[in-house]
Parts: sequence; C-alpha cells; structure tokens
Amino acid sequence: MDLALIPNGAQRCSLKRFLPWMLVWSLVVAWGLVSAFLCFYKGLNQTNMNHYFAFGLWIVFDLSLIALGAGTFFTGFLTHIMGKDELKAIMNPAVVIGFICYSAAIAVLVVDIGQPLRGWFIFWHANVHSMLTEVSFCITAYLGVLTIEYLALIFSNRKLNEIREFTIFGNNLQHMMAFFAAAGTFLSFFHQGSLGGMFGVLFARPFAFREGFLIWPWTFFLFILSSIAAGPSFTLLCVWITQRVTGKELVKRKVFDMLGKISGWLLGSYMILKILDTISWAYGVVPRAGLSFRDFYEGPYGIWLMIAEIGIFGIIPAIILISPRLRKKNGLLIIGALMNIIGIVLNRFAFTIQTLTIPVMPFDAFMSYFPTWQEWGIALSAVGYGILLFSLSYRYLPLFPQEAELNPVKVLGKAVTDSGLVQKR
Amino acid sequence: MEFRRRNFIKFAVGGLGGTLLSPLPWKLIDDIAIWTQNWPWVSVPARGRFSTTNTVCTLCPGACGIEVGKVGSRAVKIEGRDDYPVNWGGICPLGMAGLQILYNEGIRWKAPMKGIGPRGSKEWKEISWAEAIHELATRIKRLRDRGEPEKLAAIDGNQSRSTMAVLIKRLLDAVGSPNYLSMPTQEDTHAMATFLMQGTKGPVAFDLENSDFVLSFGCGLLDGWGAPGRMLGVWREWAKDSSRNRAYLVQIEPRASNTASKADQWLAPLPGTEAALALGIAHVIIKEELYKKEFIEDHTFGFTNWFGANGVEHEGFSGIVLEKYAPQRVEDITGIKTSVIIEVARQFALARAPIALAGRGKGMLPGSLYEFMAVHALNALVGRVNKEGGVLVTNDIPLAQWSDLAYDPVAIGGLKKERVDRAGTPRYPFTKSLIHKFTEAIHESPRSPVDTLLICSANPAYTIPDSQRFIEAMAKVPCIVSFSPFMDETSLMADLILPDHTHLEKMVDIVWPTGIQYPLYALSRPVVGPLYRTRHSGDVIISLAKRIGGPVAGSFQWTCFEEALKERVRGLYDSGKGKTSYSESEPVWRGLATEVRLSSAYSSFKSMWEDLKENGCWYMPSHAFGKWSDAFQTPSKKFEFFSTNIEGALKAHSKGKSFDDALLHLGISSKGDEVYLPHYEEIRSRADEREYPLVLIPIELINLASGWIANSPFLQKTLFDHQLKRDDLFVEVNPKTASKYGLEEGSKVALRSPQGELKVRVHLFDGAMPDVIFIPFGLGHTAYDRYLRGRGVNPNEIIDQIEDPLGGHPVWWNTRVKMIKI
Amino acid sequence: MKNQEHTKATRYGMAIDLDKCTGCGVCVIACASENNVPVMYDESDKTRNISWMQVYILTNGSQFPHTKVIYIPRPCMQCDNPPCVPVCPATATRKDPNTGIVSQIYARCVGCRYCMAACPYHARDFNWFDPHFPEGTDRYLSPEVSPRTRGVVEKCTFCHHRLMRARTRAYREGRRDLREDEYIPACAQACPAKAITFGDLNNPGHTVSRLIKSPYVFRLLGRLGTEPKVYYISSEDWVRRMADNYLPGEFKGRG
Repeated sequence: MDLALIPNGAQRCSLKRFLPWMLVWSLVVAWGLVSAFLCFYKGLNQTNMNHYFAFGLWIVFDLSLIALGAGTFFTGFLTHIMGKDELKAIMNPAVVIGFICYSAAIAVLVVDIGQPLRGWFIFWHANVHSMLTEVSFCITAYLGVLTIEYLALIFSNRKLNEIREFTIFGNNLQHMMAFFAAAGTFLSFFHQGSLGGMFGVLFARPFAFREGFLIWPWTFFLFILSSIAAGPSFTLLCVWITQRVTGKELVKRKVFDMLGKISGWLLGSYMILKILDTISWAYGVVPRAGLSFRDFYEGPYGIWLMIAEIGIFGIIPAIILISPRLRKKNGLLIIGALMNIIGIVLNRFAFTIQTLTIPVMPFDAFMSYFPTWQEWGIALSAVGYGILLFSLSYRYLPLFPQEAELNPVKVLGKAVTDSGLVQKR
Repeated sequence: MEFRRRNFIKFAVGGLGGTLLSPLPWKLIDDIAIWTQNWPWVSVPARGRFSTTNTVCTLCPGACGIEVGKVGSRAVKIEGRDDYPVNWGGICPLGMAGLQILYNEGIRWKAPMKGIGPRGSKEWKEISWAEAIHELATRIKRLRDRGEPEKLAAIDGNQSRSTMAVLIKRLLDAVGSPNYLSMPTQEDTHAMATFLMQGTKGPVAFDLENSDFVLSFGCGLLDGWGAPGRMLGVWREWAKDSSRNRAYLVQIEPRASNTASKADQWLAPLPGTEAALALGIAHVIIKEELYKKEFIEDHTFGFTNWFGANGVEHEGFSGIVLEKYAPQRVEDITGIKTSVIIEVARQFALARAPIALAGRGKGMLPGSLYEFMAVHALNALVGRVNKEGGVLVTNDIPLAQWSDLAYDPVAIGGLKKERVDRAGTPRYPFTKSLIHKFTEAIHESPRSPVDTLLICSANPAYTIPDSQRFIEAMAKVPCIVSFSPFMDETSLMADLILPDHTHLEKMVDIVWPTGIQYPLYALSRPVVGPLYRTRHSGDVIISLAKRIGGPVAGSFQWTCFEEALKERVRGLYDSGKGKTSYSESEPVWRGLATEVRLSSAYSSFKSMWEDLKENGCWYMPSHAFGKWSDAFQTPSKKFEFFSTNIEGALKAHSKGKSFDDALLHLGISSKGDEVYLPHYEEIRSRADEREYPLVLIPIELINLASGWIANSPFLQKTLFDHQLKRDDLFVEVNPKTASKYGLEEGSKVALRSPQGELKVRVHLFDGAMPDVIFIPFGLGHTAYDRYLRGRGVNPNEIIDQIEDPLGGHPVWWNTRVKMIKI
Repeated sequence: MKNQEHTKATRYGMAIDLDKCTGCGVCVIACASENNVPVMYDESDKTRNISWMQVYILTNGSQFPHTKVIYIPRPCMQCDNPPCVPVCPATATRKDPNTGIVSQIYARCVGCRYCMAACPYHARDFNWFDPHFPEGTDRYLSPEVSPRTRGVVEKCTFCHHRLMRARTRAYREGRRDLREDEYIPACAQACPAKAITFGDLNNPGHTVSRLIKSPYVFRLLGRLGTEPKVYYISSEDWVRRMADNYLPGEFKGRG
C-alpha cells in the first residue's frame, strides 16, 4: 500500500507487520502522553520528586539522551570535516538518532519544569552566568540544526523528492552539510561541556563540585569526551539493532569496527582523565569540604556505583573496543558498545542523583526516591518515540546508502538470503 | 494533482512563515505566560487599609498580650506585644497560629444546631437562636418544675476565676444544681496543696524571674508550662547572660524534654517517684541543718515532734524524713544516685533564691497531691514562701462581687443534693470537681443522674484520661448541650449546639494568668466581627436565665455579658490600686519588693474601662512580702507540714468506720502521722507488671495543642517527621528497649493497656528512659476537619486511671502497657 | 572609592543563639503566617511541604540520661556568595547588592529547580502542589506578600516586604537610614526566647554585628564558601561539631 513511499531498491516488510510494531510503541508513547497531561494538569506532584530530589529520573534520562545523541555531531565532524568517508554509511541514521535524542530531551524537559508555559523565559530573561542557560540555548539551536539535517533526509523520500523545490532544497543542504556539521560540532561542544559544568559549578555540593582547572576545561572536556565516546557506540548499537530487527545487513562490518575503535579510544582516554579527576577530587574538594571519600559512598549509592561506572562499565568496554582482536568478534563488539553506554548513563545518574542525595549538612537526612508510573511513562515514552520515528525513517527514507549494495533485490519467488522479518513474510 | 499539492505546500510554508512573522504567535505566547502568573484559582489577598488592634490571647489561661494586624476588616497577622506585662513580646505557637482557629471554616460551627436523627449520626438542622434558647430554657424549666434542678450539670473549661466560669456557676446555682464541674488542671492540685499547707485559696504564684535556682519536678517550663509566653520570657531572662547571675535550672523528669536539655542539670527518677526524691533532698537539708531555722521556728507547724490537745505526741516532719528518706533509700526508690541527691540538696539550700516547682508537662492535667506537698515542703524548708524569687502567697484580685443570688425553694432543695462526682464530700474533701467520678456515677446508676449537660469551652471526650469511658457515659445522658465554636469530639455528641465566638471575636477575661506572681486581670476584645451566626456564650447564658424566668432571671439582671463583666471590673477601680499600662523597660518582677504603688490615674471608672479595653490588662505590680497573716490562713496560722485540714477531713471521713478503712478508702497506703505530712505514696497500677511490662507516659509538647483548642494546621508544620508521618504517630522509645523488642526506627507497634490498644510507630530516642514509652498528647482526633481527623492516636484512649490518694484525680502518667511488634 | 562604597552597603544578617532556642516552633508559624505560606493537608511530608523556616533537631548522641537535644532553626542563609543565584537560567533570583538579601521572583521562575540542586541547606522549596489553605483561611492572607503558584520555587526573603515598609516610613519621615529595630523579619520578632537577632552585619552599632564576634559563633557548612549571613551561636562543643563537616581530629572545641 505504501510501496510508493519506500525507497528505491529497498525491501520493507508489509504494512500488516509494520503497523502492529508501531502500535506497540505508540502505546508506550500514549502512556507518556497521559503522564504528561497529568503533570501539566495537576502539577509535578504527580512525580515522586521532592525538595531533596529536585532532579529525578527525567534529568537522568535527559542527560543520558544528550550524551548518547552526541554520536551525530561527532560522526558529522569526522565525516564532513575530518573526511572519514567510511562513516558516510551511518551519517543518515546518526542524524535521525540525534534528532530523536535531542527532541525527546527537550520534550521531557518541558514536562520537567514547573512552569512549561513560561519556559521561554530562559531565553527572554537569560542569565548568562547560568550553565543551564548555555545548555538551553545550545541544545535548542542544535535541535534546529538537526531539524534541518533531518528535513534534508525527509526530502530524500522517493515521493517527496519528486517535488522540485524539495529536491533543490535537499541538494542545497547536501552541499552545506559541512557547514551544518561544523555548526553542530560547535554547539555540541558547548552544551555537552556545559552539562558537566552544570554540576561542576555547584560549589556547595561537594560530590559534583570541581575547582579551577578541574572545572574548566577539565570537567567540560570530561563530559564532551564521555559523550563522544558513548555517542558512536550508541549509533553502532542502534544500527546493529536495526540490522537484527530487519534481518538485513545495512552497513559494512568495517564501519562497525571503525565506530567501535573510535569509541574505544575515546573511552580509554576518558577513563584515564576521569580517574585522574576522581583522585584529585578525592584529595581536593572532598577534604576541603571537611568530608572523607567514604562519606559519599554510604547508603544505597555505595562504592559499588563507582566501581560499576569506572571499572566494570568503563575500563572493560574500553579494552574490548580498543583491542582489534576483541572487537573483531561481533558479540564482544556489541557488548563493549553496550557497556560503554551503560557506563556513561551511570555517570550521568551519579552526577544527577548522587549529587543531590548525599546530605551536605551533617545532620541532614538521607532520602530515597523511586519514580512514579508517570515519571516512568514519560521517560519510556521517549524511548517509544525514538523507536517510532526511527522505524518510520528506516521504512520510508534511504537511511543506509550501502543497503542496496549489500541487499541486491532478488527475483520474485526466491527466498531472500538473509533471515529476518522479510523472509518470514 | 501535482500542481495542487505543490500549491498547497507553498501555501502552507508561506502561511507558516507569515504567521511567524506576524505578532500573533508571540503575543499569544506572552499572554499565556501572563496567564500562568495570574492563575484564577490561586488566592490573591484583597487589599485594604492596614491597622492593628491590641487584645489578649485567651486560647489558654496564659493571657498573652497580642497585636493583631488587619487589612480592612480581615485579621492577617498575630504578634506578641512587648507592652504587655505577661509575655515579654513573645507568644506560643498556638497563639501565633490563632488566625487558623478563627478562619478555618472546616472546624467551626456556623450557627446554632439541633441534632436530628440518632445521636452520633452527625445529622444537624440549623435553627434560630431564639429557638435554641427556648428549647434549652424549656428543658431546664421542666427540671425545676419536677423539683430536680440538680439534674442540670455543666462541664466548664473556662479558667476558674474568669467571669465566664463564674457566670456559668451562677446559672447552676440559680437553677439549683450543685453539679458544676470544671475541667481538671494542674492548678487544682496546686490549689489543694497550698490550701492544705497554707490555708490560702488564692492563686499559686511563682516568682521565677527572681529565682536563681529552680528545682523543677517535671514542669515543662520551656515546653508550654504555666503561661507559655511568660515562661519563654523568663527563660530569656535566665539565659540572658551565660556568665553572670544566671539561674541554675535542675529538671527532674524521665525524658530529655526541651526543658531537660536546656537545664543545667537533668535528673531522671523513675516515673512517679518524684515525691521520694523531694523528700530525699529534704532529708539532706534537714540532716545537714541547711534549712532556714528562723522561718521554720516562727512560721511552720509540725516540723518537729509536738503534742496534740489530748496529750498524744505527734511525729514531726523532720523526724519522719530523717527516718524514712535517707538518700540511699531514696536512691533505691528513684534510681537517682545518693551523691547526686546530696549535691542537689546542698546547691538548692545554699542558693540565694531557690524555688521548687511541682508539676508535669504543660500542666494541663492534675498532679499528685502528696507529691506537690512534698515539693512545696522544700520551699518551706529553705524559707522560700512569700519571698522574692520564691512561692508567693496571694490573695485574690479585688473584683467586685455580683449581687447575691435569689434562691427559691427549688434551688435550695437542689443545692442540698450531693454532687454527682462527690467532690467536696468527705470522700473527696479537698477536690473541686472530679470529672472521672462524674463519668463513673453515670455509668453506675441505671438512669443517668444528669438530664441536661452543658459543656462550655471544653472537649472532655478527647482531653480526659480514659476518654472512651466518658464517651460511653454520655450515651446515657438525655440531653447534651455544647457551647463549643468548634466541631470537636464532644460537640459532635451533643443534641443542641449553641456555638460561641472564637477568641478573636469576643470579649472575655482571664483572672490571674497561670503562675504569674502578681495580680493581673486580662481582658480581650473582639478584633473582627463575628464571622458566622455564632453568639457569645456569656450572652447566651444571660438570655437563657431570662428565658427560664422567675428567680433565675432575677439573678441575671444584665442585658449582656459585657455589662456583667464590667460590674466585676468595677471592683478593680474601687480598690484604687493597680495600673493598666505597661512599659517593657519596667518589668513588674523587678519592682515587686518596692512599695505598693497606688494608681490615681483614672478620673472615672469609664476612663479606666476604656484604658483596660485598649491595653487589655489591669495589674498590681507589687507584693506584700512581710504579711504572714495573709500567707498562712491554716488553723495554726502557720505553714503546716502537718496539715490540720487533712486531720479534720480524715476524722470526718472515718466516722462510723475504722480509721484504717478510711485511709484505704481514700487510697492512702501510709500509716500514722505520715498521713498528714508530705510523704511518698507509691501509686501502683492495677495491671499485672508481668503482662504489661512497660510504662506509658503521655507527654505534652509546646507545639502540639492538646487541650480544648485543637492543634491547628500551622502547628503541624512544626512537628518533626519522627513525631507524625502521614497518619502515624510516633512514640519515643529508648534504643535499648527497642532492641529488646527487635524494633527499628519507624517500626510499627501496638501498645496495649487494660483499657485498649493504640497502633503507633517507634522513634528511637536516647533521651527516653528505658522501658518507658513516651507518647504525645494532642493528635488522634476523631472530630474536626481532615487536617486533624484520623491523624495519629489519642493516648487518652488507653490511659489506665488510678486515683491519686486523697485528691482523687486520675493519675495519667502511670499506665502499664505491653508493646507488640506488628 | 568603589571599595569604600561597597563597605558602606548594608548586609542584613542574623544571629541565632541555639543556647536560647527552645525549639518551640513559633518562628516557623510566624514566618508561614507572615508570608502566605501554604498549608498542605499532609504537613508531615517534610520533603514536599513548604516551610521557609525549618527547624532541625540535633541529639548529642549520648545515652540516657545524658542525652540532650538542641534545635537549629534554618531560614534561608542569605549567602553572600549564594550558590543558587548564578545557576538560575531565567534570572528569577538575585542578590540585592544594597542589602545582601537573596530574592526570588515567583512570576519569572520557570520551576527548573536548578537552584534547589545548588543549595545544600534545603532553604528552597518547590511548589509541587497548587498552594493550599484550609477552607476559609485564605482570609488571613496578607496583600504585602505575593502569592505563589504551583510549579515555582519559593524561599525566605528575610521578610523583604517589611524592609520595604520600613523604608517607606523612613522616606516619609525624611530619613535615609533605618534604625536597628525598624526592620526585623517576622521570625526574629516572634521568637519568644529572643534567640534570633537581626540587623546590619556591616554596622558596628547593631547588636548582630557584635554577636557574630562571639567565640561560639559558627555558620552552617562554613567551609563550602557560601558565606552565609545567618550565624549561629552555641556554647556547646558538640553542637558546633555537628553543624559542619570536619576531618578526623580537625575540630577544636572551646570547652
């Protein structure tokens, strides 16, 4: 039925299969929409956030989404500016992923603030000293860039491409990709760094605080580094999942390898800096606040969290991804990417939740928090929304330039070589 | 088609661009933001002219001067007055939250109501005031016609000397009923102890500001005891300078209360053994001859052995104390170390101006009579009676008496009947009223001895120990009339509700605020007009009397309450003494020893009355220290260690039975001359200690109103989440006790006494005595609004009442319970 | 020249004497009733209720019968170096350079709660609910203090409207400077034990500037660099010990 929209030379499953798949994720999104409605209508009492947990699940999700969305600008940077042409194979999906991550992050943020209808005051009454202002400006601007890049992709749809204006628009954009990549890189550098700075400047929160050189440029670069280490891994993982779900090879193996390698080396260098950072924090900020390292790792967020973040989900995936021998194995490559992502999410979790949870006043209480179904609804609907949009993009847009080459269309009646959705038709 | 689509897209893109360039979306966004700043459902306070009105807070008998800030006709803020002699500019949390009592619609009766349907069905019909008064008057008239005027009874929570209380008592007298009951307070025990040892009936006054050593036997001096506004001011004076002349405070109680924590020394005797500790201290003072010999010789009776009229030798106080209360023995009883007892006794006796205070918590409930006597004996030993910084013996305020009542034969007949609670009879010779005996009497007789029960300014169904028993008794009373402005537990049981104004809507007086050391008459005035169709209970009583008619009406000649009150106040003017203005720079307590200052400031009663209304007080800033004839009005004209009044009462009570039986009957376990002397009576619970191994002690907190006035939502803000969490009340348990029961912070437990069971949670507190459970009074309402109803539990429900020997008031701090983890 | 002017600026501050504070809670209620602070149904939820002045209880940790409790009333610390101000993205909070008071513009606050994350004292409360007042009690609300809506952060302002009131009066009387007792926040005025002293820390004539020179003075989390203008006084070592974080062996008591 929608054959006219499906990219030339690509095979897609039937609508009968596609629609139920979409329905499942639509339900998740609907859950989120109901939650968002409740939050708008009744206020943030619908969450379990409180004065102690001023930030909760949503901010963790937002920070993670933005870190994982970093794959886009970084791939763009490598492709268009550094001239790594191999990565062109995943440039399009990277743009879609980036668009999804950033738009979802902003949507979640809109629910998260107490007065969404005047959220634009951040721009109108901007406080230039606030990291959050910088982050808001940059991610909004960058979402604009991503929107244009994504529009260019949309216009490459077979049907839309028939419209001359769109073709011209799309073509022009293609020529300007280097510019957008540069703009994206510039904006991303700022806000990825500022997101770290957001916590690093909280000088009355010793868990997050970094002083002098350790905040600028150190923390900024730690966040940038960690995001560009996780971003390619996330792109890799998304593409790999797409391959698994569709049962098609969409990207050549060496592209995966390259992404893994980039992630690995970045993660490795990040780990070194992060460990140095942690040590200098433990011997600097911590004793100056009159605290000992142990004070930060008591209660539910014990030392295991740090071991998990830096050891298990930091050093191990770095080794896997750096070693050509290890990342050659498909399974290990994927596990490495996944662990890398988990590590970065843990890092964002620690910066958000642990910063707020560790009682600073010695007589203060340790509070615990678990999100309500509304909070989960909104967070998971971001995932649902991402899958919906990616599925649509994959189905109707020529996301993978190597797809046709890797999947030559077979004669009718003959079974398709690779397994997956198409074959089971 | 392509053409059309292309056109459409062009149109759409152009339209979008155009709209974005137009001011429309931006204006809309801005308007929406402005809307969020003016949400219609958010209350915006109305503007108006700012003004202030001075008045007096009458929520408790503490009488703090307050200034109420107003905007237009609305009261918006309460502040303490520093130009008022009582409270030093401060007020207590309840007083500060007074506007929530005034304005909280959910807790107030807004018009006279008549219960329809079965009692407790909470179905009401609004009626007119005329109907309400007619109905009640008819009922009372009928009682009188039947010659049963004593079947009218009143439970009154107004301060006993206040005009409201006097007026209600007068109504009962005029009708012919002896059954006027006042709500029990600690002042009752103080009054009895003072009467037995000094023979005086004036209020008990403590010159704390001038004391330099305070030995407090459980008084929560900083937890709301006495007049809380004044006490916190006294604390300010004590704590003013940590180096010089600071009063030394010794707090004696089984829990690290605020007072104990702020005290210089905290002693924690086993609960209920305070009298033994006081006598142990007395022992040391006597043994080491640290007592004031002159005072003892000149002004006391029964200190040493003496011979009665029949030639029988009586043992003196000193002999018995030396014999029975050696510190080692007292250590066995109280758990306080001998060395500590000796040290405290020496410090107390050698201080410049020491004072010993008996009491418990906020003083809302009565204490133990012999204990109060034992503590007061300490004041006598060190000669601190009628001395600066000591216990001042006072006479009443010179208020005018109303004209005599016109008793008719019906009234005379009724007044001859025995009181339902038997207070004042040989069984309870010194007690004014005994509400729990009243309850018992109703329970015991097949038909209620009370037909019509008036309840004013009191919520006995909630505030008295074993409240459940009271509620059950009320079911038998045919007609309950509540004057409460609040939908409290008691008024919800009533058949007729005649709602009073709240404190900020009416003029009432407080005669001599609790514990103040000089005569003070406090007068409040309405700050705002009545918000609802309520009526001043004083006016209602007068109208009621008029409606009853006959001689009853004749005793109530006034047109309104204010007139009646004014008539009393005239006595102040006629005395020619006192003043109505106050300046912070001249605190009363500093000038007490100086000459009596007479005031001739008022040219007429009218001018004084105006001043009194404006300033809210008349007071006499002086004290006649040397006048011993005023101080001791006992048969011996001396301070009596050996109470001849007890001797007389026992004689009367033992008529027709053996002396030992009489003692047993009165609950006294000691024998011989000790009976007449301050001594330690072990008050044992009837419950089996093995089955109920723990002791439950209710505690009173300054920020948790537990009396007739219920806690207000503002006060809930000040409670910690280890005191109340959601609907769960926490009890304080020592960690050692808790570990015996396998309890952790927040564990849920059931506390079971022979009277019932409460479900609470546990707060581990090192400051709680092991094996004692401390539970706050003031929560667990079953009435009021959703801010109070069902939150926490009311300890009164499971308190096991034991009668205090001689006095007969229920002992509420010695309930044995068991704790079951749930 | 510039420096001179700077030292002349007023720095309003507070000294709270914990030796005097009896924990009665009057300051909390005075504050709440002065500032139109909403009253939730469940005020026992201290993580969600609104209380600009919050009282903390400290126990000395000794066993019965040596246990002692003290109370720490905690208004906004009105930091000289407020961690909350620079982080606000919408400039909804700022420190007045002339008074040192940290203000909050409710109508501008977008409710991002970044300031709450920045403040280690929990001095800032977010309106998780629509402001609620028990039925009928909206009649005591004061027009001097702006009402808040759901979704914004609010905090103690040292009763800024009282400063405005005092200034207006002084202006009418042709005065530029305020007397010490002319402007006092509701909590300090209400404290029945007079444990709270308020005034200009820069004015040597004000009692508070003398009090903060006491050897028993401390500030909450003094070492974090927030420079609170709320000072505490306690003669008890254990209180001062528990009020801040110290490395082992670092705290030196004064006996």
